[in-house]
Amino acid sequence: MAKIAIIDDDPDIIDASSLVLTSKGHEVITANNPDDGYKIVKENSPDLIILDVMMNEPDDGFFLAQKFRKNNINTPIIMYTSVSKTTGIDYGVNEMVPVNEYVEKPISPAQLIEKVEKLLHQNIER
Amino acid sequence: MDQQKQKILIVDDEKGLRLGTKRLLEKEGFEVVAAENGTEGIAFGTSIEFDAAIIDMKMPDFDGIMVLKEIIKKYPNTACFIATAYASYDTAIESARVGAFSYIPKPFSPEELLLQINKGLEKRELNIQKEQWRKEREERLLEVAYEKTRLNTIINSISDGVLVINKNGEAVLYNPSALKFLVLKSITIEEYIIDKLPEKLAEQVNNFLKSSEYLKRSLTVQIHMKDNDLVVEATSSPVPAPDGSLAGVAIVIKNITELKKLEFLKSQFVSMVSHELKAPVAAVYGFLKLISDKSMNLSPEKQDEFIDRSIIRLDSLLKMVNDLLDISRMEMKTTQREIIELNLPDIINNILELFQLEINKKNIKIILNAALSTPSLSGDQDEITRLFTNLISNGIKYNKQDGSLNIKIEKIDDYLVTEIKDSGIGMKSVERNKLFHEFYRVKNEFTKDISGTGLGLSIVKRIIDSYAGKIEVDSEFGKGTSFRIFLPVIKNSQKNNKETLTNMQLA
Repeated sequence: MAKIAIIDDDPDIIDASSLVLTSKGHEVITANNPDDGYKIVKENSPDLIILDVMMNEPDDGFFLAQKFRKNNINTPIIMYTSVSKTTGIDYGVNEMVPVNEYVEKPISPAQLIEKVEKLLHQNIER
Repeated sequence: MDQQKQKILIVDDEKGLRLGTKRLLEKEGFEVVAAENGTEGIAFGTSIEFDAAIIDMKMPDFDGIMVLKEIIKKYPNTACFIATAYASYDTAIESARVGAFSYIPKPFSPEELLLQINKGLEKRELNIQKEQWRKEREERLLEVAYEKTRLNTIINSISDGVLVINKNGEAVLYNPSALKFLVLKSITIEEYIIDKLPEKLAEQVNNFLKSSEYLKRSLTVQIHMKDNDLVVEATSSPVPAPDGSLAGVAIVIKNITELKKLEFLKSQFVSMVSHELKAPVAAVYGFLKLISDKSMNLSPEKQDEFIDRSIIRLDSLLKMVNDLLDISRMEMKTTQREIIELNLPDIINNILELFQLEINKKNIKIILNAALSTPSLSGDQDEITRLFTNLISNGIKYNKQDGSLNIKIEKIDDYLVTEIKDSGIGMKSVERNKLFHEFYRVKNEFTKDISGTGLGLSIVKRIIDSYAGKIEVDSEFGKGTSFRIFLPVIKNSQKNNKETLTNMQLA
C-alpha cells in the first residue's frame, strides 16, 4: 500500500479524502498550506501527492507543483481544481504545470480511488 | 418680360434718320429713346439698361465706338449695333472687338434693320440666360464647398475614429480620433493606407476590396494595439458607388479599453465567486458520498460528525449567497433606503447585545465610550446596523481569549468618527492592503478555525462609500486591529429637508 500526501486548505476536503484513502489501506499525511505541504513531502517522500490548486492565492498549487519539480521531487501529482469549467480555463498537463492528473471538485470516493490507483500503477511500471 | 416693351436706344446726329428709325421701331412695338449726339447717348445708355442700341459711327463729339464702349461697360448685355455709312472690313473688326453685336451699313432698309435687331435681341436673351446659369452654378459650387466643410467639421468632432478608404486602398477621409486609435502619426489623403493599418483591420478591409462580389454586411474586429494598453473595436462597412459597385470602405473605430478592463474584472469576479461557492459544495458532497457509501463502514458517531460539518458548511454557503445578493443590490442601487435620524451609541449597544454569547464565551471586555452630546446620524437603520455588525463581529471573532474591544464615538469636524479597536490577532501590511477585496480572508494558524464569507468588510466598504464616508485601518500583527469609520454628519440647515423626506417615506 502507498503513502499519499494531501495538501489542501479545506479541512473538510482533507478529512473526507483521507478517510477514502485510508479505507483502501493507504497511509495519508496532510498539510493545509503550501509551506507545510512542501515540508511533509520532503520529509516523508510519499508515493503520490494530491494538491489543491487554489489555496491562499489562486495559483498556490501550481507554484508548489513547480517547486517540487525544480527540486527534483518527481512524485506523481493529482491536482484538485474547482473553477476551470466556470472560467473557461482549460488546464492541460504540460511542462508549465508539471502535474500528472487533474480532478475537478467535487469528487466522488470512487473517482478518487480510480485516479489514485491509476497513477500509483503507472509509477510502479516506470 | 413679355408684357414690358423692349427698349431701344438710337444715337445719331442726323435728325431725319434718327426720327425715322424711331418711328419705324415704335410701330414694331418697341419703346425707343433717341439721342442726338454721343454725350447724350452715353448719358441715356448708362442710366438704364436698354435691350439694344443703334449707334452712329460718326458724331461730332464722340465717335460711336466710344459711346458703345461706355454703354457696354455698364450694361454688357445691351445688344449694340454700329451704324455706319462707311462700312468696311476694318469697321466690322473694330466694332466686334469693342463688343458690338453687329454693324449696320447705312443706308438700311426697315427689313434689314428689324432682322438685325431681332437677331441681336435673341443673342442678348441667350447671353442673359447663360449668365444666370453661370451664377447658379457658382452658387451651387459654393453650397457644395460649404457642405463639405460642414461634413468635415462634424466628422472631426466625432469621438470615434472615422477612416474612409477608396477601392484602391487609398485614404479618402479621416478624423483625428482615427489617428489616435490606430496609433498613427499621420495619414496623407490619397496615400495607400492598407499597409499602415493593424494586421487584423487590413485583413478585414481587404475582404471588401479584394472580394469579387459586393459584400453588403459590416465586419467588426477587436484589436489590442501593440505597445500600449489600447483596445479598439473597428467596424468596416462597404460604401456603394452610384452604379451599385463598391466605392470604398468606411471604418469606424471605437475605444473599448475601459470596457475590456471591466470585462476582465467581471470574469475575475465570477471565477472567484464560483470558487468560493464551489468549495463548500465540494466538501458537503464529499461527506455525503462517504456517508452513503456503505463500503466505507462509517461509525454512527463519524456519520453524525460529517452531517454536522456539512450543515456548518451549508450555513456559511447560505450566508455567502445572501452577502452576494446584498452586494449585487448595492451595485444595482436597488436598495430602498429609509433615511432617519439614528443614535449611533444605541445601535452599537443593540449589536453588542446580540453578540453577548460570543463575548461571554471568549471573556472579552467591552468598553463603549460615547460623548453624551453625540450628534445623531442620518442614515438607513438596516445599513448602518449592518455596517457596525460586520465590524464588531470581526472584532470578536478575531479576538483572543480574555481580550478587549474598545469602541469610541466622537464628532471630529463634520464627521461622526467611530473607532473600533480589538486586541486580536492583527494583520501584516500585505494582508491589510487586500482587506476590502471580495472573498479575501487572512489565512494563518490563528484564523484557520474562524469561519467567514470573506465579504463582510467588502460590504462595510460599500456602505461607507455610499454615505460618502471613509474607513481607516491600523493593525499590528499579533497585537490587534483598529478601524476608524468616518460618517458625515448632516448639518442643521439640511436637517429639515431630511425630516420631510423621512415623513414622506414613512407615510
